[in-house]
Amino acid sequence: MTDIRLSHIDPKDRRFAVSYPLQDATLRWSIATVGIIQPVILLDRTPYVPIAGWRRLDCARELGMKTVPALVVDMNEKDALLHAIHDNLARGCNIIEKAIILDKMDSFGFPREDIFDLMEHMDLNRHEKVLSGFLMIARLDMPARDFIFTKNLSFRNIDSLLRFEEKERKKILSSLKGFHLTESTLREILEMLHLLKIRKGTITGRDMPALLNADALRTHLKERTHPILSRLHRKLKAIREAMALPPGMDIRVDPFFEKEYIDIIVKIGDEEDMVAALGRISELAAKGYVRSILELTKGRIR
Amino acid sequence: MSLQKVEFVDTHGSVVRRCPGTKRHICCGYQTIDLVEGCVLSCSYCILKAYLKDTVIRISRNSDAIITELDEIIDGCSDHILRFGTGELSDSLAIDRRYGLNRFLVEYFGRKKKAILELKSKWADFRHLEPFLNPFTVISFSVSPQRFIDAEETRTSPLRKRLKAARRAQDRGCFVGLHFDPVVIYDGFEKDYRYLIADIGRILDPTRIIWISLGTLRFPPALYGLLLERRRKYLLTGEFIRGEDGKYRYIKTERIRIYRMLHRLLKSIDSNLFVYLCMERADVWKEALGVEMKDNESLMGLFDERIKNVYGGML
Repeated sequence: MTDIRLSHIDPKDRRFAVSYPLQDATLRWSIATVGIIQPVILLDRTPYVPIAGWRRLDCARELGMKTVPALVVDMNEKDALLHAIHDNLARGCNIIEKAIILDKMDSFGFPREDIFDLMEHMDLNRHEKVLSGFLMIARLDMPARDFIFTKNLSFRNIDSLLRFEEKERKKILSSLKGFHLTESTLREILEMLHLLKIRKGTITGRDMPALLNADALRTHLKERTHPILSRLHRKLKAIREAMALPPGMDIRVDPFFEKEYIDIIVKIGDEEDMVAALGRISELAAKGYVRSILELTKGRIR
Repeated sequence: MSLQKVEFVDTHGSVVRRCPGTKRHICCGYQTIDLVEGCVLSCSYCILKAYLKDTVIRISRNSDAIITELDEIIDGCSDHILRFGTGELSDSLAIDRRYGLNRFLVEYFGRKKKAILELKSKWADFRHLEPFLNPFTVISFSVSPQRFIDAEETRTSPLRKRLKAARRAQDRGCFVGLHFDPVVIYDGFEKDYRYLIADIGRILDPTRIIWISLGTLRFPPALYGLLLERRRKYLLTGEFIRGEDGKYRYIKTERIRIYRMLHRLLKSIDSNLFVYLCMERADVWKEALGVEMKDNESLMGLFDERIKNVYGGML
């Protein structure tokens, strides 16, 4: 181990960089407190090429350190990449790092079998389709990578996102960036956007206007993908409002208007409550509200 | 026509099954003979893609056991005229010329004279079966507008060939069945179906069409993802909801609209045509066809009546 001047290390040569993101506040604080405990690994070239320790180097630069402890090694590129990978593997890699690793192995010409073996160790299915998905992730631009990382997307949702063209993806990401998104909400939104793209050929600004939150966007998309269902829901809402159901009484309707029947729920504490509830139900029936709801569930109204 | 692997297998257990039906949907009580599992036609919407684990075509070689099973079921049933088909997990005719799969069944039903065999297909060639055909075999074709066939049923026979084959079957003394299934919503589908039904009226003898089924597109959730991934525009134009059985299907009001339209057009060819809905809810029957269909038994009763009417005393 030796101390190497930071100015002798080339930070732009990212051949072996697999860490994402580079910034790490905890590591920075730790280095500021006790310095770099574990040396970085550098390839013996002029200038030195970082193999492992990209985050440590980034912190050192930010902290204004002049030198870093380093192990200088001389090996071929493939071995250097394997060192970089294995140095990071044990700590557990996030989805972007896994994608970068697989992409680098692929572009360095490692045989498929070696790549698949590593995929298994990273808890990924050794399958060409999975690999090609990860290669696509690695080639995404920074905003897309950031979105995937910060929202902690599942591979299923990433795969769904990757099916859009770059221009559309940018539009989608800028619209979703500020939203709190659960996996299922995002899946639903992406599914509806896909449907619109298939039907119309492309996604436009009208499909993704500026809205307050993910729920508002979901409702807006539902109106576009399911206009009849949305219309039925609006009609049901209007009937419910006109009915002004008292507390303790509810009418439940199948959300897809598929079941032809409805459930009328009443909460009663004694016989008097029951008589009052039945009276109210009769009143609602006499006014035609129940029939109006049944018209919706029986498919008579579009 | 296909590079799919074909395997002859010994099947264990029952090969003849009652159509499982679907929760809260009316089923016609069809019996399936799962002689072949897998299909070479590979239609883009085929639910076999979601159900079967691979693309291998598996052919049961237990013909004796199948006959024994059929004997038991037919002889044990006194309340209905049973209808059997080989087109549930495969296409009945697509590989039949090559492997001669249906001949023993056609001959069996001809001898038995107590039940009906339906060969349901999108493949318009049954000439190899002609010497063995008898009135107890119904040749049936799924029908869709040619535009849809071109897009989603690319390996199947064109519509015109299917209709001509159906006419040929009628001319050879068979009854034929027509299956509008799946009926799919796409831009201009109404006009295409009008032309299709006009073609049926021109080419076929309506008195020898034993039944016509109507069924709108429906599929399990696993297939929905595949359709999105493969961007099947024709199949994704309509508005889907999840039915009580978990399957995707068009929203009810659309299904009713489609059934009404097709029913009206078909009845305009011949008001005596027997038209039924495949796997639909009782309220859809009522709204679309004006028929109070209480349960599966009621529909099976209608089939019995229809068969008695067209076969006279033969069955």
